[in-house]
Amino acid sequence: MIHLTNIHKTYNNGAPLHVLKGIDLDIEKGEFVSIMGASGSGKSTLLNILGILDNYDKGKYYLAGNLVKNLTESQSAEFRNKLIGFIFQSFNLISFKNAMENVALPLFYQGVSRKKRNVMAMEYLDKLGLKDWAGHMPSEMSGGQKQRVAIARALITRPQIILADEPTGALDSKTSVEVMDILKTLHAEEKLTIAVVTHESGVANETDKIIHIKDGLIGQITENYNHDFWTAASSK
Amino acid sequence: MRIDRDSIEEIVKTITQNKSRSLLTAFGVFWGILILVVLLSGGNGVRGMLLSNFEGFATNSGFTFTGATSIPYKGFKKGRSWDLTTDDMQNVRNNVPELAHVSAASAHWGTPPVYGEKKYSEGWLRGNEPEYQYIEDPNIIYGRPINEIDFRECRKVCVLGMGVYESFFTKGEDPCGKRIQVDGIYYTIVGVSDGQENINLLGMNRDAVTIPLSTLQRTYNEGKVVYYLAYTAKEGVKISDVEDKIRRVVAEHHVISPDDKEGIRQVNAEEMFEMLDTLFYGIEVLIWLVGMGTLLAGIIGVSNIMMVTVKERTVEIGIRRAIGAQPRDILQQIMAESILLTTVAGMTGIAFGVLVMNMVDTQIVDNMGNSYGYIATFGSVVSLTLVVIVLGAIAGLAPAMRAMAIKPVEAMHED
Ligand SMILES: Nc1ncnc2c1ncn2[C@@H]1O[C@H](COP(=O)(O)OP(=O)(O)OP(=O)(O)O)[C@@H](O)[C@H]1O
Ligand SMILES: [Mg+2]
Repeated sequence: MIHLTNIHKTYNNGAPLHVLKGIDLDIEKGEFVSIMGASGSGKSTLLNILGILDNYDKGKYYLAGNLVKNLTESQSAEFRNKLIGFIFQSFNLISFKNAMENVALPLFYQGVSRKKRNVMAMEYLDKLGLKDWAGHMPSEMSGGQKQRVAIARALITRPQIILADEPTGALDSKTSVEVMDILKTLHAEEKLTIAVVTHESGVANETDKIIHIKDGLIGQITENYNHDFWTAASSK
Repeated sequence: MRIDRDSIEEIVKTITQNKSRSLLTAFGVFWGILILVVLLSGGNGVRGMLLSNFEGFATNSGFTFTGATSIPYKGFKKGRSWDLTTDDMQNVRNNVPELAHVSAASAHWGTPPVYGEKKYSEGWLRGNEPEYQYIEDPNIIYGRPINEIDFRECRKVCVLGMGVYESFFTKGEDPCGKRIQVDGIYYTIVGVSDGQENINLLGMNRDAVTIPLSTLQRTYNEGKVVYYLAYTAKEGVKISDVEDKIRRVVAEHHVISPDDKEGIRQVNAEEMFEMLDTLFYGIEVLIWLVGMGTLLAGIIGVSNIMMVTVKERTVEIGIRRAIGAQPRDILQQIMAESILLTTVAGMTGIAFGVLVMNMVDTQIVDNMGNSYGYIATFGSVVSLTLVVIVLGAIAGLAPAMRAMAIKPVEAMHED
C-alpha cells in the first residue's frame, strides 16, 4: 500500500535542515503501525509526506501503486479526499462549523448533495457516539469529543488508509484509550491501513509494528503482533 | 462551482465573522456606487431640463430667418438686408414637397394688452399663420387656436398666453368671447394657450397675445413681412436634408446667393437635439470615469481586506486542502466571497442612490409638476450591477490566487 525508498526531505526556510535522510519503508495493506522517535526527529514530516500533504525532495514514494511525484495537483487532492483519512493532534476542525458540517465537509468536495452528505455525517457521528452533538460547535466540545468528530470526518469518505499524527497527544489517558480503541476496531473490522505517530509507548504498544525514527533514518522496527496477549496479561 | 446552501452559508459566515471590517470595506464600494448613481441621475435630470426647452416643438421642425447677406450676388453687394414675406412661405409650400407644414410668424412689442382696468405690461403681440399650431403645439386649454378664416378675413381675434390669462381672469374662468385691448384696438378672445416655455424665438409664450398674422401685418402696416418661416418635414424626411432646398427657394425670390448661409439663416430642432446629445454623451463618459475612480478605490480596499483574511485563514484553507479540496474549489470560494461582498455593498449603494434621487426627482419639477428625470435609467442600473459583479471578481482575483497557493501541509501549522 505504501512503499518508500530513499526518501529525503530538507526544509529550506532559513538555514537548510535535512530532516529525512533516506527513508526506506513499506506499510502493507491492512497493517496497523506506529511511528516513534524523539521530538524533532521527523515523524510529522514523514507522515505529511505519506499523506501527500507535503512533497519530498528525493527518492521514490509509491502510494497504492502510483508514483506520487507523477500525480497532478488535482489527483493528489482526490487521493487525500478518497484514499486517505487524516487525524491530527489538535483536531483541526473548522471553528465556525458545527460537528455535522465538519464531518460532512470532505463529501462537499466530492460534490455530494447537502442532504445526502448530512445524512451520512449523522450516521458517522452516531457510530462514534456523538449523535446528540451534531449541532454543537467545536468550541463547545471536549478534546475527546472533538477528536471523535475528526475521526468521523476522516472516515466519511471510506478511505483505505488512516494517518494520525499524535491523535492522543492532546487527550487525557482515559480518552486516549477510547480513541485508540476506535482505531483498533477500524483496523480489526474494516481492515484499514493505519499509521499513527506517537511518542507514547502505551499507544505504540497497541499497534502491530513500531517504526523508530532516528537522525532522519528508520532505526529499528519492532514487530508487536502479540500486543493483545501482553496487554491482556499485564491487566491481570 | 458547487453552489448550495452550504457554500452560500459558508461565504456569509466568513464575511460576517469580522463584521466591522467587512462593513468598512463594503462601505467603500457602497459609497463609490452611490456617487455614481447620483451623478448619473443628476446628468439625466439636467439633460431633461435642457430638453424640456424643446418640448412642444416637433423634433423634425426648423426655422429660417433673415440676415445681412455675406456674398455679393448678381450685382448686389454683400451686407444687404432684406425681409422674409408671406410669399416666401407660399413659395416654400409649393416647391418643397418634403415638408409637412410650412408657416410663418411675426411680432410687435411694447404695446401691453389691457382688460378693463388691468394692464399686463410684460405682454407682447404675436402674429401667427394658422398652420403654426402644427409646428409648435399651442396646448389650447380654452377655446381654439387661430384658424384659416381668422387669417383670411384679418379678424380681430386673439389667443391669450397663460400669463396674460392669469393676470386678467381668475383661474377656471373661460374668457372666450370677452374682449381685450392692445394699442387701442379691441380683440375678441377665442382661446387660451398653455404652451411650453421653450427656445424663445420672439418672446415668452406665457406673455404672448397671439392674433392672426394678417391682422398684425395690416395693423402695423408691415405689408407681407414675416419674422421667420417655420416648417416640419414629412415622416421619414430629415429636416437637415431639405434645408438647402428651402434656402434655394428663398434665395431665388430675393436674389441672394443660394450658398449664403449668413444671409439666410436656418436652425432646426434636430441639430440642437444632436448637439445636446453629444454634449451629454461627453458628460456621461466623464461621470463614469469619475465614478469608476471612486469605485476602484473601494475595490482595492476589498482586495486588501480579502488578502488579510486569506492570510488569517491559512490553517483553515490548509485543512480544506488536506481533506480533499481542489485548488479551484478554494479559488472559487474566495472569488465568491469577494463577489458577494461587493455585490451586496454595490446593490445597497444602487438602491440607496435610486431612493435618494427619486426623492430629489419629486422635488425638482417644472411648472407643470412634471419630472425632469433626475433618476438613474434602468439601463444604467443594470450596467452598474454588472460592473459591481465584475469588479468583485477582479478584487477577489489576487486573494484567491494567494489562497489557492496555500499548501495542504499548512493544516499542520496550527497557530
Ligand atoms: N515547515 C518547516 N520549516 C522548517 N523546518 C521545519 C518545518 N517543519 C518542521 N521543521 C523542522 O524539522 C524537524 C522535524 O520536524 P517534525 O515536525 O517532523 O518533527 P517531529 O518528529 O514530528 O517532532 P515532534 O515530536 O515534536 O512533533 C524539526 O527540527 C522541525 O523544527
Ligand atoms: Mg510532530
